Amino acid sequence: MKWMQFLTPAQSFDYKEAEAYMAEHASDTVTLLDVRQPSEYKESHIPGATLIPLPELTDRLAELDPEKPTLVY
Amino acid sequence: MLAGKGFKKVFNVSGGINAWKSKTAIGPQDLGMDLFTGKEAPLDVLKVAYSLEQGLREFYITLAKKAGNEKVKDLFLKLSDIEVKHQMSIYTAYNQISKVETNKADFEKMVETGALEGGLSTEEYLDLFKPDLNSEKEVISLAMSIEAQALDLYHRVSSKITHPESKAIVNKIADEEKVHLTSLGRLMDSL
Repeated sequence: MKWMQFLTPAQSFDYKEAEAYMAEHASDTVTLLDVRQPSEYKESHIPGATLIPLPELTDRLAELDPEKPTLVY
Repeated sequence: MLAGKGFKKVFNVSGGINAWKSKTAIGPQDLGMDLFTGKEAPLDVLKVAYSLEQGLREFYITLAKKAGNEKVKDLFLKLSDIEVKHQMSIYTAYNQISKVETNKADFEKMVETGALEGGLSTEEYLDLFKPDLNSEKEVISLAMSIEAQALDLYHRVSSKITHPESKAIVNKIADEEKVHLTSLGRLMDSL
């Protein structure tokens, strides 16, 4: 079992902090990850978000760059 | 989950989309993606981007004619001028990359205009947002919605494009849209 995933807390940003963070960083240096369902994404999403629904995330991690800061919602 | 999989910096956006007060984008992941095959060479990317800016510029000019008062009319014309600046920077980049000077008229002949920034048509934007053409705030809100849509499209296109230089161009345009969105937000706040 990989205990790291339970012991590593993810820092939280409120929307203002998240928006400022993305404004300060070039588009190709940050990942904004939307883990909701496609129907929710279609209705409304944060501009620039990459959609990978939570149930698919484990199988699709290779699509993301672990070196980049990743903002998740 | 991500932190345990080797992701160096993971941030949770608290409250998610419900807490997000800025402009959002709509539509499925493939919205507007037909504008790009993903295999474009850098010069082709610039031609498509130019056509999208042209579409939006014409959209603003059309709305300026329909606007109910002079302030709103001026605002639409100002927005259309901003698109002209975007187009000029794309045209300049085209000549720099091609290393052969193409005059603007010849360049524009190579560019087809079919859609607006963000991948929706004029009618689709108007149906979607139904702006009050007498209200400056609504007009800026419409412009911000279009910029948010454009930013979103360029991000999605970037992930589809394989040519590194083309990808870099798309990312640069996406960053410019982000700056544009921020400046429209400031304009909104100033009203």
